[in-house]
Amino acid sequence: MKGHLLAIAMFILLLLLVAAGTVRSTKLTPAKTPEGAVRSLFDRVKSSDLTGAYAYVSPASNVDKQTFFKDVNGRDGSLRTYSKLEDVDTKVLRGNGNEATVRATTKWSTAVGPMFDTRDLKVVKEEGDWKVVWQSDKQPNLPPQVIPVNYLRWDIIRRGTDDDWGAQNVESPRVRIISMNAVEKDGGVIVMGEVRNEDTVPGFVSVGATLLGKSGETLGEETSFDKISHTLLPSEISPYRIDFPKVKLAQVQSVRMQPAALLMPASADPVIGVLHQRLEKDASGRSVLRGELVNQSGMTVNIPHVLATYYDDAGRVIWVSDAYSDKALLPQTPVPFAVDVRDDLAKNVQSYRVTVNQYSIDRVQ
Amino acid sequence: MTSTSPVSNVPNGRVLALGAIILLALAVHGPLLLMQLPASSYDANTHMFFASNYAQHWFNPWNEKWYGGFSQTTYPPLAHQWIALFSHVLGLPLAYMFVQLLVVLLIPVGVFRYARLWVDERAASYAAIASVFLGSLALLVYQSGQLPTTFAAALTLNALPFFYSWAREARMTALLKGVAICVAAAAVHHVTMIFGMALFAWPVLWLAASDARQEDRRYGGAAIARSVMFAVIVAVGIVIVLFPLFKAPQAATGQVPIPHGSRDNYLLNLASGMNFWIIPHGALLLALPFVFLRGASSRRLRPLFFGWFLTLLIGLGGTTPVAPVLLGTIPKALIGIDFFNVLTYERFTFWATLMTLPFVGLLAAELVRRWNRVAIAGLATAAVFTCALAVAWTYYRPINVSPFKVDQVVTFLNNEGHAKFRYLTLGFGNQFAHVSREVNAGSVDGDYNSARLLPELTASGAGQLYNAKYFGVTGMEALRSMLKHANQYGLKYIFVRDRYYEPLLAFAGWRQAEVYDNGNVTLWVKDDVPPAHKIDLGVTIPEWQGVTWGTLPMLSSLLAIFLVIALPERRRMAETVEFPAAAASAVELREAN
Repeated sequence: MKGHLLAIAMFILLLLLVAAGTVRSTKLTPAKTPEGAVRSLFDRVKSSDLTGAYAYVSPASNVDKQTFFKDVNGRDGSLRTYSKLEDVDTKVLRGNGNEATVRATTKWSTAVGPMFDTRDLKVVKEEGDWKVVWQSDKQPNLPPQVIPVNYLRWDIIRRGTDDDWGAQNVESPRVRIISMNAVEKDGGVIVMGEVRNEDTVPGFVSVGATLLGKSGETLGEETSFDKISHTLLPSEISPYRIDFPKVKLAQVQSVRMQPAALLMPASADPVIGVLHQRLEKDASGRSVLRGELVNQSGMTVNIPHVLATYYDDAGRVIWVSDAYSDKALLPQTPVPFAVDVRDDLAKNVQSYRVTVNQYSIDRVQ
Repeated sequence: MTSTSPVSNVPNGRVLALGAIILLALAVHGPLLLMQLPASSYDANTHMFFASNYAQHWFNPWNEKWYGGFSQTTYPPLAHQWIALFSHVLGLPLAYMFVQLLVVLLIPVGVFRYARLWVDERAASYAAIASVFLGSLALLVYQSGQLPTTFAAALTLNALPFFYSWAREARMTALLKGVAICVAAAAVHHVTMIFGMALFAWPVLWLAASDARQEDRRYGGAAIARSVMFAVIVAVGIVIVLFPLFKAPQAATGQVPIPHGSRDNYLLNLASGMNFWIIPHGALLLALPFVFLRGASSRRLRPLFFGWFLTLLIGLGGTTPVAPVLLGTIPKALIGIDFFNVLTYERFTFWATLMTLPFVGLLAAELVRRWNRVAIAGLATAAVFTCALAVAWTYYRPINVSPFKVDQVVTFLNNEGHAKFRYLTLGFGNQFAHVSREVNAGSVDGDYNSARLLPELTASGAGQLYNAKYFGVTGMEALRSMLKHANQYGLKYIFVRDRYYEPLLAFAGWRQAEVYDNGNVTLWVKDDVPPAHKIDLGVTIPEWQGVTWGTLPMLSSLLAIFLVIALPERRRMAETVEFPAAAASAVELREAN
């Protein structure tokens, strides 16, 4: 009898432990503060529980569940569809007993690296609980239409089967570094400038640099990585930026630049226009370059990448910055963009130039 | 008065010979292993990869093929060395299968001997039969490819009776054999030694102390003292045999946890519950009420019951707070390490099912006594169903939902001098290890996080680059960092099976060059990358460590085999004890030479 009691006690203990683990995991508590509502919503997004997240959206938002899911998960193969929420930071900007505004700064892990997004959310009190008024991204419905295209395109006849793999056996396109500037920022050296395709054929370009010390020793070897537009059409110019962390400019005797180019098939399509460019301060007081991107072709650009080059009054490149947009560029539909500018350099910026790089799922060669 | 002898409920009956049980294991698992079913499991290729290095360079544990170079002294070598040894005759995949088969044959022996501590010979033989059909074993072998885990578990089970015998009776031969087997087990798999041995040993120690006190009229504390002595000798043996492991070059970095289904709450995530609990248990679930009732009622079985209960709770992963607290919160508070999010829990369930087997043997014996052939038919059906379901589960729930071929990748890397450069595979999952063991080229990625030394990897704490996206920002930053230094490392080729990674490659200067397997895999190249050269990681493995690493672990296993053969056990006579025991006095054990 004593043994049976022990068995029952142990079985009950098992049930209690399972219940403790399960109840703890499933709790979906109503938000009692504005900040709590926003945090709970994004916490649910983080754990991929979008239905749970939607429970914190106010009915006054007039956003259906599918639209909310698309806002959070992205659409049209945009960068947001390649993203996962990693962290959220919230701050109450203003509020009273029934309404508040909460700033949510979200950190996303994306296919191209971390991405931060700041959003001011209105939060309202409904039946004692706080809920988020979700402003959905409106997608304009374009009427059916024909977009004529007359872009340039370069094709290449591939190697023969007898050639070595990867050998092009043709002269590489001529590319030239037309400007170079080295500065020390944030404890590292940054080499930046512009590179130009001086040939009549497109080139696949990359720029590498080696920092050499006083006695000729190598201090660092880096490449422009994604701070360049790798595909350059004839006469096209791209900015480049190469970062050398933990190197002091005073240590550097010289910089060895290594531009490389390879002949490649390319087309001028898609054409992406940049509209309404302007330097201004964002909500947190930082300098940003804002504008709008317009895809002037008829196919979707999934991930646009904005590269901005800043010049001083002498026409020298003083900074290069970039930003990815987490929205796809649908044909003929403007999408806003914002690129950070260093505050200490903003006052020296005399002019700037924006180039747009892109990745489209259906156009990978 | 309660008997302290192994529990039995049945009158003397025929005991199936252990040889016959081993043949049964051979009949069940032999064909499956001959079909090389584990070849597509999670980890089999990783273990074959390690073995391939030993096959080519037995005394040189430095392997250039992963992480730009790493030391294999970061992982116990014994299982890999046995595979390497047999690979010269059978080839690598078949050698892996052969060693796994030997392990599968060793498990019923271990279960029989372990069960014999708790129950009579007949029930132990039923337990051994049940071990052949264990669902958790089938999943570990055919789905997870955890050869070292099963190998070390088999050795641990075989060592425990010697541990018991030494702790209770102070028999020197038991000490020798137990220590030798334990050291060999540690040379196979250190995690099993740390966690598994601890979970298995304390109930046995409890039993030994209890038996010494009640049956031998000795002081139970002596058993505890002897067990401490046993542990100390084993620890010294392990340090000697695996000395290079403790001196292995490892970067001190925290591991970002990768989500694993075994850490889920199985009730909230039924798919994980099926994979990590229901299927591994199979028909054993029907025996659980009996385990509770008998385990709690019988004084002799109570240590095993508590040991099983704790292991079961840990095996439930995130279903209860036990594993998160015991392996997460507490160690983090004490030593700053969160084991919960590093470990996976299928092995704990495996150990729990092994601990269930003595109860199952007892239940089977009782059922057979009552219903004879009907019971045998029922038990056989349940056993076959359990094993078949677990094996079939790898078919119905394959780990690769969209299988793909890597032959063309291997052919590409092994031809036209492409091995001069390093490569990455993104989205390849466990097929990365398959590729890396078949190609001559090296990779900056690898499949054993503890061994990496490249600063781009150690700085982040993310796991494999081929799974970078699953580690979030940390993983993608590690990948970005590695791609940025492609030129330094000669990283020219990237094979992509997951289009998630394409945008980064496209923006970072790689271009798509080839398409394989009907578009399943694409090759991306960076044209300005110079050929790879040896990376100076600031690490050298002394030659003498290579020699000891190549000899001592293997010698430990040979010594264990020699001692077991040279010093045979005196066999205890099978006997029957009524349960609940009605005897007025304790039954004396009789021994025969």
